[in-house]
Amino acid sequence: MYGKRKLTALAAVAAFSLSLALSACGGGNTAATTQPTGMPTGVPTTVPTALPSMPGAAGGEFGPACATIPKDPANPGSLEMMAQQPVATAAAANPQLSTLAAAIQAGELADTLNNAEAVTVFAPTNEAFAKIPKADLDKVLADKELLKKILAYHVVDGKTAPDALAGAHKTLEGQDITVTGSGTEFKVNDTAMIVCGNIQTRNGVVYLVDSVLMPPS
Amino acid sequence: MRRLIRPALSGLLAAAGGIATAELVASPVRPESSPLVAIGGTVIDATPTPVKEYAVATFGTYDKPLLIGTILAVLALLAAAVGVLAVHHRAAALLAIGALGLVGAAAALTRPMARPIDALPALLAGAVSAGLLAWLAPKAATAPPPPSPVPGTGPATDGAPAGEPAAVPAAAAGDTSRDDRAAARTGRRAFLVAAGLVALGTALAGGLAAIIRRSGAQAADEARAAIALPAPADPGPPPEQTPGFYTPNQDFYRVDIALTVPRVDPRQWTLQITGMVDRPTELTFDDLLKQPLIERDITLNCVSNEVGGPYVGNARWLGVPLAPLLRAAGVQAGADQIVARGADGITIGTPVATVLDGRDAILALGMNGQALPPEHGFPVRMLTPGLYGYVGAAKWITSLELATFSSFDAYWVQRGWAATGPVKTASRIDRPKAFAQLAAGTVPVAGVAWAQHRGISAVEVQVDDAPWQQARLLPVPSTDTWVQWTWDWPAATAGSHTLRVRAVDGTGALQTEQRADPFPNGASGWQSVLVTVA
Repeated sequence: MYGKRKLTALAAVAAFSLSLALSACGGGNTAATTQPTGMPTGVPTTVPTALPSMPGAAGGEFGPACATIPKDPANPGSLEMMAQQPVATAAAANPQLSTLAAAIQAGELADTLNNAEAVTVFAPTNEAFAKIPKADLDKVLADKELLKKILAYHVVDGKTAPDALAGAHKTLEGQDITVTGSGTEFKVNDTAMIVCGNIQTRNGVVYLVDSVLMPPS
Repeated sequence: MRRLIRPALSGLLAAAGGIATAELVASPVRPESSPLVAIGGTVIDATPTPVKEYAVATFGTYDKPLLIGTILAVLALLAAAVGVLAVHHRAAALLAIGALGLVGAAAALTRPMARPIDALPALLAGAVSAGLLAWLAPKAATAPPPPSPVPGTGPATDGAPAGEPAAVPAAAAGDTSRDDRAAARTGRRAFLVAAGLVALGTALAGGLAAIIRRSGAQAADEARAAIALPAPADPGPPPEQTPGFYTPNQDFYRVDIALTVPRVDPRQWTLQITGMVDRPTELTFDDLLKQPLIERDITLNCVSNEVGGPYVGNARWLGVPLAPLLRAAGVQAGADQIVARGADGITIGTPVATVLDGRDAILALGMNGQALPPEHGFPVRMLTPGLYGYVGAAKWITSLELATFSSFDAYWVQRGWAATGPVKTASRIDRPKAFAQLAAGTVPVAGVAWAQHRGISAVEVQVDDAPWQQARLLPVPSTDTWVQWTWDWPAATAGSHTLRVRAVDGTGALQTEQRADPFPNGASGWQSVLVTVA
């Protein structure tokens, strides 16, 4: 017992000296850790980012469709890359959201989404758009006012975490959407399943839904 | 398992002793030659961008302490393994330590600003670790395993695993057990004393290194606080009074590659002007203060800013005009690129012609009435009005090398960004905010537009598909700053509306509607904002 306690004490001393070596290395730069730090980037398709506000950690996403998100962190549509980009740029890079991205572009909403302070986007996947008959979809895409109205109905002010998801939320279109469910199973307006939730982007959180939401009026 | 504890601990202690020694040696002279910092920098440079971005996104500003912590943890594992290896293969273990020292030295030597001497701390770390291990390992190995609870069984069969064979002589049975235990106790005591001494020495060295570091940074901070900026020989116009024209220092965007914010002591700082010049020059901070200083309002923006994005700011700068310094050094024919190097390892390449064309390219010493904040490049940064920061605004600048574009690619150019980066004309709507819910009636619309060195001659705003309207431009001191603009949106009607903005630069050229991503030479396109009027 005697030897064991001594050894424990020694290990503590060793750990202490290691931590001193650590602080010796970082010593005197405490102010640096309170500053937003820019990151060098090495891949031409990415940008140097200053990150004035740190986005939430990736890794809290849930749902079956998350499996289809590109795994390679170098892919612009990966969770890692989406977390770095403003929400519309992030969505445009995700292969599951290419129809939505086209709609956002047609509705001229990319800048507004990108420069919004914080938003929650219920993002219909390509499959969701595929449920709409092509003639109807083309009509909506051609009617900019209607398109904007429908898209704004998918956006809620502020970042909504999964534990605050259930309930009614006023959309930026003006009317409410209602989310039911709990844990990792949620439905929006009783029609759209959340198939991958809690995807982080620089200024917004994204929930992929399997149906397009239609404003009641 | 228990048999491995002491050898592993010797390995750990030997490594900690070595690293602490390296820190102690590096801290007072060349903090950047610390093997930990050098390896950290090498790891960052070698890490794929997405992983880096993921690290920043996930760990925020703790990414760098975490990196150093991870390096230490890996080193600790390696050290423990080497300690265990030393039990049976002393020479191999010492070789492994030597190899680790060489890795550290290689990392230090391949850093952007490396000097040959930078290999010293890592090599010293290797030598000290090897020496400590050679001393500790035999002591760790002599001790036999803990006495068996049943007297007379265990110890005789599995005595000294290695090391000094004399420590456990093969004696007659019977008394062996007690003798072994006594020998074990002595061996253990010797190890504990030795280990304790190493731990104490390590703690002292590490602590001292930490104190030296902190006082070094403190000295830099105190030197910065003590600086009284001279009055400009060529003062700027009266400061603009409109709120928002100047960006406060603490709100000014920051994009750089610094692992830790460099803390440069201006009393030890010099600027080298080298390369293709007739008279290579070295200037001290005091030399710069004695130059006639100019005061200018200059807007700086980052090439990675998206349409409508936040990486742009405007400040009142105090600095030394760069062109006379270059002319005094004698720029040789053929030199078309100024390669500025910063203490964080950055290289930034600026066209010589741009700096010499009469614009206010400066070495800035002051920002909004203060000495440059450490985050913005203290003691000296470069500014080139009309160029994005990545090609004209090196921070913590230490040297200017006259070179050619064909002979050298600067940091971002190596990463695919354009070699030259004149700013693109841009305009931004700051009010109303994205998705704003507005009351009907007159809505004030406001923002900024910039095209540094060309200036802004007009800003126009459009609501939905109505005709473009002229915005009112607020006065500016020069073409090098952004322009604040306002426009009253009369009789906004209920419903959702899209506001658009575009600018015309001082040459009469309309801002392009063509959308471009920031990569490789800056974003373009007219910004729009969707708002709802109740």
